[in-house]
Amino acid sequence: MAKHDTPMLDELENGPWPSFVTDIKRQAEKNPDCWDILGQVELSYKDRITHWKHGGIVGVFGYGGGIVGRYSDVPAQFPGVEHFHTVRVNQPASKYYSTENLRALMDLWEKHGSGMTNMHGSTGDIVLLGCRTEALEPFFYDLTHEMGQDLGGSGSNLRTPANCLGESRCEWSCYDTEEACHHLTMHYQDEIHRPAFPYKFKFKFSGCPNDCVAALARSDFAVIGNWKDDIQMDQAAVKEYIAGNIPSNGGSHAGKDWGPFDIQAEVIDLCPTNCMWMEGDELKIDNSECTRCMHCINVMPRALRPGKVRGASINIGAKAPILDGAQFATLIIPFIEVSADNEFENVIEVIENIWDWWMEVGKNRERVGETMQRVGLPTFIQVMGLDPIPQHVREPRSNPYVFWQAEEVPGGFDRDVDEFRKRHAA
Amino acid sequence: MGMSDDEIKAAMIEKATKAPKPQLYVKDFYKCDPDSKARKIKNLANELVKEGELMFWSSGSTTMYARPDRIKDEEGDEGVN
Repeated sequence: MAKHDTPMLDELENGPWPSFVTDIKRQAEKNPDCWDILGQVELSYKDRITHWKHGGIVGVFGYGGGIVGRYSDVPAQFPGVEHFHTVRVNQPASKYYSTENLRALMDLWEKHGSGMTNMHGSTGDIVLLGCRTEALEPFFYDLTHEMGQDLGGSGSNLRTPANCLGESRCEWSCYDTEEACHHLTMHYQDEIHRPAFPYKFKFKFSGCPNDCVAALARSDFAVIGNWKDDIQMDQAAVKEYIAGNIPSNGGSHAGKDWGPFDIQAEVIDLCPTNCMWMEGDELKIDNSECTRCMHCINVMPRALRPGKVRGASINIGAKAPILDGAQFATLIIPFIEVSADNEFENVIEVIENIWDWWMEVGKNRERVGETMQRVGLPTFIQVMGLDPIPQHVREPRSNPYVFWQAEEVPGGFDRDVDEFRKRHAA
Repeated sequence: MGMSDDEIKAAMIEKATKAPKPQLYVKDFYKCDPDSKARKIKNLANELVKEGELMFWSSGSTTMYARPDRIKDEEGDEGVN
């Protein structure tokens, strides 16, 4: 039986899509505190202002992340949501669960919290919504001791690393994303659970440039699988695609009359660098011009595959904030070996170079991509100890100035200009 | 010779006690010993949390440090997480 009148929320149940209002009502039959969520949200719609207070000192002992404090600013009206903290639980790599695990986790959450969840947050965490402060420690004890699971990241911490399905399901994966994600999650437990940085920092691991985990758009440190030799090509399979004997795009365009497959229009003309052409009935690729867009491989997966010398590209500085200022990551390292054999030491070295610099130079609440923008890419590359390469250049220069470092000028910037002018009149 | 860990911690506690605002970013503690690496100051701040001298204050998106006696529960800010 509804505890509050919620005419505006009820409207949201009339559309064609599943409604969170219906879900909360269903949960409220089990946990009456959930009626107060609906009551407070209805009041927010009426007042056109949130009635959640944001932040606070909640947490579990020794952890500086994983729990986000939420308090109602109208607790007398809605006592069931006086405290309504969010708990982030680190998801397993690639989000593989057993139903047994999910049932046990939900039982635990119904015991200690509201029973409401959000699967998953944008960082990948299992998000458990609504818990009173005094229930946090008992929940955390059961989560860690009975379930063997741990909290994820929040605040100025390393956020819960996320990865695509990788080699577990995908033949295009250029490295073992699950192993990399798991290893670095364990390696950086301190950075996940205790604040370390000027602001949040996110890792994401994609196995190939299709980037199924959207690392390029969402993570401060994107490790995206790549290869450095030539695309593997099976000319016999190319002919089969052209003849229509193998459906293009794995058959995903089979539902309508798309017409016969046209390799020129559907593959070659769509190559962003025009690096493909036909010679007779053979497909040719100038691999030195390939930008790894993956389009040709996606269209003809049985004819084209990523190369054999596999690793990853490191892209740094993406962010996708809710309010404004979303930006893609910048390619910093075109190719790096990513191997569990050396415990991912190549990747770790790059990460720690960035952290050491960002922790010193980054301003409070400044993402690493914003720090890079502020100091400029040339400075960032220098800090990273890298040589500039063509891939760092987005477009040809549009101003005539050349900026030299002191060590690049004979005698540095302190040379005797009068002496110089004796030989070179101004 | 640089400051010992205990001396740096004492300076951090003093800073957290006397700062105009109760909540401090970890960066605010860097000046307690300019010769120390940022990571060391971060580790010392977290040790002070374990010892009960400081506590975490989180908006969800940003984490700050405060002296327990200078901050009350159920405060809000306008950050996003």
